Amino acid sequence: MSDDPRHSPRARNGRAPDVFRPGRWVSMQQYADNEAVDFVIVGTGAGGGTLACKLAEYGFSVVALDAGPYFRPLEDFASDESEQTKLYWTDDRIVDGDNPLQLGSNNSGKAVGGSTVHFAMVSLRFRPEWFKARTKLGYGADWPIDWREMWAYYTEVEQALKISGPINYPWGPPRPRYPYRAHPLNAAARALARGCEAMGIAWTETPLATLSAPRGLAHPCVYRGFCVAGCSTNAKQSALVTWIPRALSAGAEIRDLAMVGRIETDENGLAVGVHYHRQDKWHFQKARNVVVAGYAIETPRLLLNSATDKFPDGLANSSGLVGKNLMAQANQAVWGVMEEEVRSYKGPPSLAITEHWNYADEGKDFFGGYCYMSQGPLPQLWAKTQASAHGLWGARLVEEMKRYNHAVGLKIVGEMLPQEKNRVTLDDEVDQYGIRIPRVTYSWCDNDKRLIDHSIGFMSRALTAAGAKDIWIQHDDTCHLNGTARMGSRPDNSVVNADCRSWDIPNLWVCDGSVFPTVGGANPSLTIQAIACRTADRIRSLARLGEIRF
Amino acid sequence: MLDAMRSDHARKQRAHGIARAGVREERSAPAQGRWSPTSRSLSGPDRQKADNVLAARQLNRAAGTLAASVLADSAVEHYRGSFKNKAMLTPIVVAGLTLAMSLHGTADKRPVAHNARDTSYLLAAGTGLLGTGFHIYNVTKKVGGFSWQNLFYGAPLGAPMAILLSGLLGFCSERLRANGPRRRPRVLSLPAGKTVATVAALGLLGTSGEAGLLHFRGAFHNPLMAIPVTLPPIGAGLLGATVAGSGECAHRATRWWMRLLVAMGFAGVGLHAYGISRNMGGWRNWSQNILDGPPLPAPPSFAGLALAGLAALELMREASDG
Ligand SMILES: Cc1cc2nc3c(=O)[nH]c(=O)nc-3n(C[C@H](O)[C@H](O)[C@H](O)COP(=O)(O)OP(=O)(O)OC[C@H]3O[C@@H](n4cnc5c(N)ncnc54)[C@H](O)[C@@H]3O)c2cc1C
Ligand code: SF4
Repeated sequence: MSDDPRHSPRARNGRAPDVFRPGRWVSMQQYADNEAVDFVIVGTGAGGGTLACKLAEYGFSVVALDAGPYFRPLEDFASDESEQTKLYWTDDRIVDGDNPLQLGSNNSGKAVGGSTVHFAMVSLRFRPEWFKARTKLGYGADWPIDWREMWAYYTEVEQALKISGPINYPWGPPRPRYPYRAHPLNAAARALARGCEAMGIAWTETPLATLSAPRGLAHPCVYRGFCVAGCSTNAKQSALVTWIPRALSAGAEIRDLAMVGRIETDENGLAVGVHYHRQDKWHFQKARNVVVAGYAIETPRLLLNSATDKFPDGLANSSGLVGKNLMAQANQAVWGVMEEEVRSYKGPPSLAITEHWNYADEGKDFFGGYCYMSQGPLPQLWAKTQASAHGLWGARLVEEMKRYNHAVGLKIVGEMLPQEKNRVTLDDEVDQYGIRIPRVTYSWCDNDKRLIDHSIGFMSRALTAAGAKDIWIQHDDTCHLNGTARMGSRPDNSVVNADCRSWDIPNLWVCDGSVFPTVGGANPSLTIQAIACRTADRIRSLARLGEIRF
Repeated sequence: MLDAMRSDHARKQRAHGIARAGVREERSAPAQGRWSPTSRSLSGPDRQKADNVLAARQLNRAAGTLAASVLADSAVEHYRGSFKNKAMLTPIVVAGLTLAMSLHGTADKRPVAHNARDTSYLLAAGTGLLGTGFHIYNVTKKVGGFSWQNLFYGAPLGAPMAILLSGLLGFCSERLRANGPRRRPRVLSLPAGKTVATVAALGLLGTSGEAGLLHFRGAFHNPLMAIPVTLPPIGAGLLGATVAGSGECAHRATRWWMRLLVAMGFAGVGLHAYGISRNMGGWRNWSQNILDGPPLPAPPSFAGLALAGLAALELMREASDG
């Protein structure tokens, strides 16, 4: 039988791949399809992987399904950008709107571990005020969770991932010491630092989910910079090498190459399990609770695709908000060339950061905030960027590529505002499993544009001050998707409550980036994982109180 | 009368002391080098002279151990830095020379200072001072200046101190030889034992600080990483106490502690070898991991300083006995 994890599932027969030992396995508990488990979780990324671990550790029976393969990073990951496109979710999707999103490599993954397998590891806390964005800052929506509670869960996740970060973080309320020390800066990061110092704003080493010292069987980072193409040393603390192994040893079952097509509900309007496609067949896993954690596009898609006569607009959708308020994050960049060699691809791509514009409220003509980070594009991506965003081709592209080692850039992660018209709906086309595919509609609002302009102006000045020449601007790029099943304090203005529990169907939960009411100007994965930890704690408490039916 | 009694008593104690010293020397021969029988068969000024030479040779050995550590460490680290600056060759040449001179000194039983050794030890001390200056410059000129980032990853501030210490110990050793038969040997008109003990104690503290900084950089991810930041400062404290004039019991404790530190210094190489094995590819990927993993040659600098501490204890005993 083929050992290609994309073609035949690996987590079977009571065992799952040991991601730390080539060729070895760890034992795995297995449940029969007709055995109703406490929780079936759809998706094993930042939200689902974390939740599977925590719930299993709390003694619940858990089956977590992922449409993607179960990779062994030490064996399966090549230092080859083309080969590593296998990590992305590239199933058919339709994009439209004024600013159609580019989907695939920059925003979604398909693997056990989800997008964290190829994410860039930037692990930021939200600014406390963002949790009350409407009340305190006058835009977006309030979260139903207090920042102080989140602060404790951030700490839990930072410890679980052994985040390496600076000794003193320049912004926000005090936070505990990062478990591991910051990584050495590369020349691209030093350029960011010089720019910030010239502009008179603070900068720091980026808190990263990659090891700066050994941890168990995981090796420390080797600074080869292949991070967003999958880390082959296990230094990257993805869900695949952190939460998932913990989940397995706590008794959870992981099913790879298992695409969930529909959540089944009964006549009482409760979820009873999920239909999933694995090894060329459809199966049905019974469950007392269903958690959807498929990321901001697949989560609403699954909820909408699970419509019944009782729920004609899809599950958990009495508010009509499922799929709405999709928020990407702005990802514009400013690029230039330095006299000296930079070799920005060395090391994790974003070793230095400034969150100045996330925390400063003066001097802005827009709501929200942005951070910006140093960059380290791999060569293929760089050539593609030069061709598509810079418009170079032929001899000019070749000439430009000769300067690759001198290129330097700054890129934002910028807050985009929630708008109901930015949404995920279903198209009539179907995918390889015969499931209706999502249509993703996206347009920037004026506030988004003002934020982008502000960031481009500021970064251009900073990069020039750092000594870069031939500055050019990459106008159109977005990353990280959130929203589409927002949490809130009332059933009419949100899909789930603060515990990620659907208002309509009490045994249906959503636990991933979809629940964000606002996105802030910071990468989301730490917050997704913190929310998953909180959700697990809440589920345990509610179960003890008898408020969850088992 | 009283005087006579006192000196009589002193002589007895001294005889006792020497006999014990002899036994000690023999027992700890592997750690401290070969015991030279000459001083036992000698008496009076000759014996004193031989004792001074013996202590001087122990110091040469301590200086040599430190120099060896610096030689290997700076070779690896500066190779890693691609010898970007020609000055990065200096510590290798100087540490190599210091090591050679120390070997020469360890073998040399003559009770006179040696010009070439003297010069090279002074050169080592000068290099250490200059190197520290260079390293401070390297750290502060980086963006971020005097920050944790640059302390962790810029040129290590404490490293050149090791060659300075080696030079100082070697210099003390030459001064000791130059004491001839003097009973209370001196270094630059300071009591030799106490001076060397102070240098060793300060060296232990500084080296421990350096290990502390780098192990903090490694987040003390292995509990054993706490050893070099706890045992050496205790050793420095014990040495300090003996300098301040504590009793025989404290002397004995200090001696054992110094031996523990010698062992720790060499065991550290083993632990760093294990640390290297935990990097991607382990020892199969040695050519990369020796550069990126914990520095193999660093821990023995503790052994060098502890050896100097042992020599200092001997000198102090001689002085107090005499
Ligand atoms: C290139 C890149 C770089 C990034 N860099 C960062 C960064 O530096 N910092 C940061 O904080 N964030 C970063 N992100 C974003 C971050 O990875 C995501 O926000 C986060 O992983 C989302 O978590 P999630 O649980 O919502 O979804 P995911 O982690 O994407 O997990 C969803 C999983 O669900 C599975 N799934 C979906 N639908 C189904 C279904 N119907 N049946 C079965 N399985 C299904 C998918 O296969 C996937 O594995 C990056 C993302 C990308 C793509
Ligand atoms: S640079 Fe570090 S985190 Fe990135 S792929 Fe290499 S080892 Fe992994």
